[in-house]
Amino acid sequence: MEASKPKTPKGLKQAFFIKTFHWLNIISLLLMITSGLQIYNANPVFGGRGGWLFPSLVTLGGWLGGGRHWHFAAMWLFSLNLFAYGVYIFVTQRWQHRFVSSQDLKALQTSNNPKRKNYSWHRLAYTIIIPVLLISIVSGLGMYKPAQFHGIVWLFGNNWQTLRVFHFITVPTVIIFSLLHSALALKVGGDRLVKSIFVP
Amino acid sequence: MLKIPDRQLIINRRQLFKLSAFSGAAWLLNGCGTSLYSPQVQRIFEPLNQSIETKILNPTQPVPEFPISAIEPNALLINTFDQTPVLDPATFRLSIDGEVATPVALSMGELQKLPLTSMVIRHVCVEGWAAIVQWGGIRLRDLADLVQPSPQARYVYFQSADGYYESWDIASVLHPQTLMAYQKNGQPLAIENGAPLRLAAPIKLGYKLSKWVTKITFTSQLATEKGYWEDRGYEWFGGI
Repeated sequence: MEASKPKTPKGLKQAFFIKTFHWLNIISLLLMITSGLQIYNANPVFGGRGGWLFPSLVTLGGWLGGGRHWHFAAMWLFSLNLFAYGVYIFVTQRWQHRFVSSQDLKALQTSNNPKRKNYSWHRLAYTIIIPVLLISIVSGLGMYKPAQFHGIVWLFGNNWQTLRVFHFITVPTVIIFSLLHSALALKVGGDRLVKSIFVP
Repeated sequence: MLKIPDRQLIINRRQLFKLSAFSGAAWLLNGCGTSLYSPQVQRIFEPLNQSIETKILNPTQPVPEFPISAIEPNALLINTFDQTPVLDPATFRLSIDGEVATPVALSMGELQKLPLTSMVIRHVCVEGWAAIVQWGGIRLRDLADLVQPSPQARYVYFQSADGYYESWDIASVLHPQTLMAYQKNGQPLAIENGAPLRLAAPIKLGYKLSKWVTKITFTSQLATEKGYWEDRGYEWFGGI
């Protein structure tokens, strides 16, 4: 008797490009955050000299110079991946149906179906994180080239501390988002949904 | 008849993927808290970033300045790599030499006869803090006019009294807001801020703005030593 090939579970497939964008986003965000915290420690946004420092375990680079090298390298992977994703969702018209919609918002308000509501929360979360990532890029560019990109600094009230706070706040935001996003995905689609985004 | 089972793959595609992902993560996590490969990363990416910041520098256009009311006197922190030299302004001479037609050595008296340029700009430190400060002094561009650098000169070295040294691209040196400053926030420059003369500019990070400058040298070649902090791993161009 022939050994039968194991059947792939029916249904849940994500586009190859989406899985790639998702993986690269995770890797590049890890590099950006750890190198960013290395930079943070050189002069904490909260408290300046004498402010609380992040433990070296969560930093990448070893010292300010090393943190900057990693940060200004990984920024290419992070931003180009995000922009390629942006192009992809427009070209494929994914934006029309894969992000939070008015029906989702309505369901959050009026639905009695917990599954429908969880699904809406899930879509809302992974939609909102996109502008958060864009804010991290724009505020980062403002701090990287404040003279040549003075227009960006102007957007943040021409205030250096405001710029720093916005840029830093995206870090706990992304971390909290990642936890909520993972929990929601697991709740909405179980192991199958989680596997579908990670496994080729 | 004995059935020989099909040879099984030692490791299937999904397992390989999982293994690679975990190995990669472990390798990277091992770097946390270390300077894992940052010199190599610098070697690959600094040229790319430098070519871009060179392009976005507008060598003749001033960057927007601030009103005097915006000055943040307490935000300008003091950093120095070593001691604070105390120079006698009466005997001080600024030497400008190298690949120039007429090298000079100027006293403070002679320097203060040259046109005074004042600007209120943001000083940005590589550490991450910034301060809005008024600087008054002589444009490097005006000093260059005095000595007439050769067309081959592409770099400028700055030597300081405490042993600190820096090198810049000539385009940034000749930018209209690059000054040899002797005035800060409406007062004569203090020794701890670099008196009698320091570099001031809104287009470069603070570590490139040498204090206690004694010599300016125009050159067509960068030496292996490019700057105190650059030789210890910071970026050379340092443009903002």
